[in-house]
Amino acid sequence: MGMQKGIKTSDYNLEDLLGPLNEVEEKYAPKRLFVSGELPIPLPSPRTAIIGSRKASPEGLKAASYIAKTLAKKGVIVVSGLAEGIDTSAHETTIEEGGHTIAVLGTSLDKVYPQKNSLLQEIIMLHHLAISQFPTGYPTQRKNFVIRNRLMALISDASIIVEAGNTSGSLHQGWEALRLGRPLFIWHSIMKNSSVIWPKKMLDYGAMVLSDPEEVLDHLPSHGRILKVAP
Amino acid sequence: MRIPKLQFSALLSYTPRGYSPSALHARDFMIALKNERFVEDPTSAKVVLMSKWVAETIQRDRAKLPFSSFFQPNTILVPTPKSSLMKPDTLWVPMRIASALARIGLGKVLPCLTRIKSVPKAASSLPKDRPTPAEHYKSLRVDGSLSKPDEIVLVDDIITRGSTLLGAANRLADAFPQTRIRAFAAIRTISNPGEFDKLYDPCIGTIELRESGDTLRRP
Repeated sequence: MGMQKGIKTSDYNLEDLLGPLNEVEEKYAPKRLFVSGELPIPLPSPRTAIIGSRKASPEGLKAASYIAKTLAKKGVIVVSGLAEGIDTSAHETTIEEGGHTIAVLGTSLDKVYPQKNSLLQEIIMLHHLAISQFPTGYPTQRKNFVIRNRLMALISDASIIVEAGNTSGSLHQGWEALRLGRPLFIWHSIMKNSSVIWPKKMLDYGAMVLSDPEEVLDHLPSHGRILKVAP
Repeated sequence: MRIPKLQFSALLSYTPRGYSPSALHARDFMIALKNERFVEDPTSAKVVLMSKWVAETIQRDRAKLPFSSFFQPNTILVPTPKSSLMKPDTLWVPMRIASALARIGLGKVLPCLTRIKSVPKAASSLPKDRPTPAEHYKSLRVDGSLSKPDEIVLVDDIITRGSTLLGAANRLADAFPQTRIRAFAAIRTISNPGEFDKLYDPCIGTIELRESGDTLRRP
């Protein structure tokens, strides 16, 4: 345990947070995780990631907010990456709606990126949950955010890409969600944008188009990772 | 199509629409199966992967299962491809179930079927948009060679109408015309919640090609 700016952080492994992992999930699972916040460990379910562009359009921000609001009202924990744009909209709306949110950081817990989200990160670290795989003082590098996106896919029961260009980091998460066999949704308005080429490929590999956020609920578990059965 | 009627078996059942405790439990089980999560048997307190639990349950109950003849040491178990294309290292639940069965001597795995063109997911499509057996057949390819196996069992995680299995069985029948082909799915979808009884519901039945090109699954 350590203290950063008066905020308590704890050190876990991924199985503490999620329960046992299958071999496909173990492939990129980090050994240690640093966590701060009030959500219980192991993490409650269900959890859905809402992700997308940092430089999002007003429509994209509105869609992220609408999806987060709908899911938060249904008790879904909204996961995102604390980046500008779609991520910020998803976190903020969930908090406003009285829901729970998890921020998966591309930095260590003692750092903030982007700086303008320092208050949001503090609120999440105090009352929700922030998770990082990078120890205190770890240098912030571009590749950390790609690694973070894999972790976010692993933590989330499903992922929704709300808006993303052809080079968006969200695509890394999308591919990882598909590799894990988790539902990946592409918000319907992306399909109208002829300049992006990735959606068709992801649909061929199992992604689904999402028009109504409530459709996600049919794909989410209502239990933890270990199910009891007595046939 | 060489095979207009395919025999299939299933160990479990679930309904996508019911809200009774047993229906909700079965739906959770289906999601856990699709994600290769873990299951705890309260009698033994053992926590095992879902694919292993399916295989071990078949082995444990073999004497009383209506489909015990499906799983013999020399049966060739062919995992059914997903509806989408698949990159290496992707979770492939039918492959995991087939491997779990083979590990306890209930067959030998041969992953010889590949999806070469994605088809719409049946679960997220309107009935009119769901791919027919013929569409599945056209989107699949048999890779590798195998000398005249006596029996092939196609292994899948979930059976809904049976179109995937019927299309896949016909693709295999082209490559292995002398081989008996049957199918197994871990869990069977029951559309009408009124017809759903319980999760553990072993059955044997048929998938039949209708004149419309669609399928009729019984039960």
